[in-house]
Amino acid sequence: MIGIVSYGTYVPRYRVSIKEIALAWKKDPEEIAIALGVREKSVPGIDEDAVTIAIEAASQSLSLFLKKPNAIEALFVGSESHPYAVNPTSTIVGELLDIGHEYLASDLEFACKAGTAAVQMIAGLVASGQITYGMAIGADTAQSKPHDALEYTSASAGVAVILGKTHIIADLISYNSYSSDTPDFWRRDGIRYPSHAGRFTGEPAYFAHVMGAAQRLLNKSKVNISDIDYCVFHMPNGKFPREAAKRLGFADKQLGASLVVDHIGNPYSASSLMGLASVLDVAKPNKTIFMVSYGSGAGSDAFLWKTTKEISKFHSKQKKSGYTIEHQLRQTTDITYTEYLKYTHKL
Amino acid sequence: MLSPVKIWRNQKHIASQLGLVGTIISWSLIRVPPDGFNDQAPYPIAIVELENGSRILSQVVDWKTDSLKPGQKVKTVVRRTIETTQDGVIPYGIKVKPI
Amino acid sequence: MNIAVIGTGMTVFGERWEISPRALARDAVKQALEDAGCDKKNIQALYVANMLSGMLGMQGHLGALFAEELRLSIPAYTIEGACASGGLAIHTAVLSILSGEYETVLVLGVEKMTDHKPEQVSSALMGAGSNEERLAGATFPGLYAILARSHMEAYGTTVKELASVAVKNHYHASFNPKAQYQKPISIETVLHSSCVADPLKLLDCSPVTDGAAAVILSKKPTKNGVTIIASQVATDTLGLAERKSLTTIAATTEASCKAFTLASISLKDIHVAEVHDCFTIAEILALEDMGFVKKGEAGKRISEGAFTLGTAKQCVINSSGGLKACGHPVGATGVKQIVEITDQLRGRCGKRQVQHARVGLTHNVGGTGATAVVHILRKEMYA
Repeated sequence: MIGIVSYGTYVPRYRVSIKEIALAWKKDPEEIAIALGVREKSVPGIDEDAVTIAIEAASQSLSLFLKKPNAIEALFVGSESHPYAVNPTSTIVGELLDIGHEYLASDLEFACKAGTAAVQMIAGLVASGQITYGMAIGADTAQSKPHDALEYTSASAGVAVILGKTHIIADLISYNSYSSDTPDFWRRDGIRYPSHAGRFTGEPAYFAHVMGAAQRLLNKSKVNISDIDYCVFHMPNGKFPREAAKRLGFADKQLGASLVVDHIGNPYSASSLMGLASVLDVAKPNKTIFMVSYGSGAGSDAFLWKTTKEISKFHSKQKKSGYTIEHQLRQTTDITYTEYLKYTHKL
Repeated sequence: MLSPVKIWRNQKHIASQLGLVGTIISWSLIRVPPDGFNDQAPYPIAIVELENGSRILSQVVDWKTDSLKPGQKVKTVVRRTIETTQDGVIPYGIKVKPI
Repeated sequence: MNIAVIGTGMTVFGERWEISPRALARDAVKQALEDAGCDKKNIQALYVANMLSGMLGMQGHLGALFAEELRLSIPAYTIEGACASGGLAIHTAVLSILSGEYETVLVLGVEKMTDHKPEQVSSALMGAGSNEERLAGATFPGLYAILARSHMEAYGTTVKELASVAVKNHYHASFNPKAQYQKPISIETVLHSSCVADPLKLLDCSPVTDGAAAVILSKKPTKNGVTIIASQVATDTLGLAERKSLTTIAATTEASCKAFTLASISLKDIHVAEVHDCFTIAEILALEDMGFVKKGEAGKRISEGAFTLGTAKQCVINSSGGLKACGHPVGATGVKQIVEITDQLRGRCGKRQVQHARVGLTHNVGGTGATAVVHILRKEMYA
């Protein structure tokens, strides 16, 4: 059996409210907050990027990992804001965290699901016996054009997950992926801001793929919705994950623990992984977690996890180090729209 | 453009200084930055004594006015340092963050 | 040792837009040669002091450049030690005479800083610090601000006391026709100037200056009777983080102690001194680290009027206006300090003359204290 052995999360401390952004464009803040189901979003410091955020999350996961960093034999980083078009983020992270040289490094891109794609690939390498431990990271400092709808939600965070066969805190019971060519959201090489196709990003994009992957997972694993303890969906805004949960028959209390979007917005490659981490931070042993990510272009990665009794020990270690998402969400600094523009290099 | 070789040699030091706790010994707030730090100003710099006994001088990030004082506990993190040309290698380095 | 200072010269210090480095050099050297009554062909070697020409103007090889400019086909050297370049060049020239190799040498300190944008100059000056300091975005005001804050925490020195150093030096410079700033200023003006690096304000900092200074040193004494009787250098760590103390510049103490001992001079014998006040806090540290006052007391003493022209029976510090008010063309400063002390000992300083000055001292620092150079000069009284 393979599963999660350790994980770490990082959310930059700055927050810009929907109200601040809306007022800059003379829009009605309440209307936007209700339409999107988001109140504020996380903003990276001016000197942070996907590399530094990946390092923070990975560093946390390593400090809660029972082995030394050089036990990691594969390191994949998924992002849509890799600082280089050519030059891997994964090796910078590996070098600065002393992972050594005996590992497979790779960078992934698949809009918001590059991080979960990395998890599935690492799972395969572990299951085959090719590696003993591997790390998958989803990290982003998401960009959006000022005055565009995405400006209200594009945020920043990073999650690192270490997979292995021993000392597992959450077993990977089943997983699958659903892919198609659907141009709902994209960014051309050399162009600064992404573009999107408006309402096309809803039914034919997000819902088609999330539902497609979810159905296949349910059929494959033969699990019932009512038997599942937690569900996690990719969170481009506050509405879509709630709608996806509803359509599949999940209740509010199954979805609730994962909804970090309400506090931080959409950190793209880290979104569904943050939802998973948010659940793992509080889940007791033997709880099942149904998780479906979504990446534009398009595809969804689905996972069924089950926590083990090891997770209790993990929680005690986490508490001592103050690494939970909840702890990070308590330490925020509100910034103005001007500061937001400055920190995201638009000024 | 900064020398990629110098950036590469420097990154070996970074790994050894990451994730350490320290205390601020003294600090100043730079309001008039040198070339390459314009966007980051104003920012504090501090002399920090690390738990391994050594001292470093670095920028302080994620700071509030009341965290700039001798004795403030900090931890080392990796951040981008000096601004470089659009086509240059990106320099990362150690900064400190109040905890 | 007894190395005679047979001639001195310096340009007006300030923003000399129209004057090139070559023209600055010609001006200072012409004055020095005329003062010495010496023919150019008697000069046997040229020592040039400069810090920024290579970094800002892409021009190195200054020994050759100025030898060419001055039409001197003699051995020529460039000496660099950040802001202590001038003092180090004087020291090297002294050693060259003591070695017996030369009898008469010319030392030229020259710096052109106003050809470039302030941010570039600020960056280039950080060449005097460590790589770690540069990557942290530190500036020289920032590094000295850390020293100021440490001193304020340890000894209760106040921003007003820091400001009083600037007030004293601007007052002195008002009597110096070569100084960059020749108007007195008040404590309030200093305190209200904009903050550069907390707690240092704009007027706590020496300015960006163009200028050149030249001295001719000789094995043989002359009528003016001024000789260098001690020349000492000390070094400490390059960066502030590696220093043992943030409230003392150890290199200053080491160089000055050695100088006093070798010259058999004690502090109370010093009538006039040029110390390295690149920032107001630097003068406070200099006075304490050389023993002019007890540790922690310099701020108080200066704000009470000590070391100021006109106060009887006391050593006068920075009669030229110091780096703060006379200006700080980096490579030239250490040489200009020798010019000022020599002129003081010869009674040529007009309204800023220190009465009966017979023994003087210069103190030149590189970086935040990585290098310190101390010279003691004395006027010989002949029967």
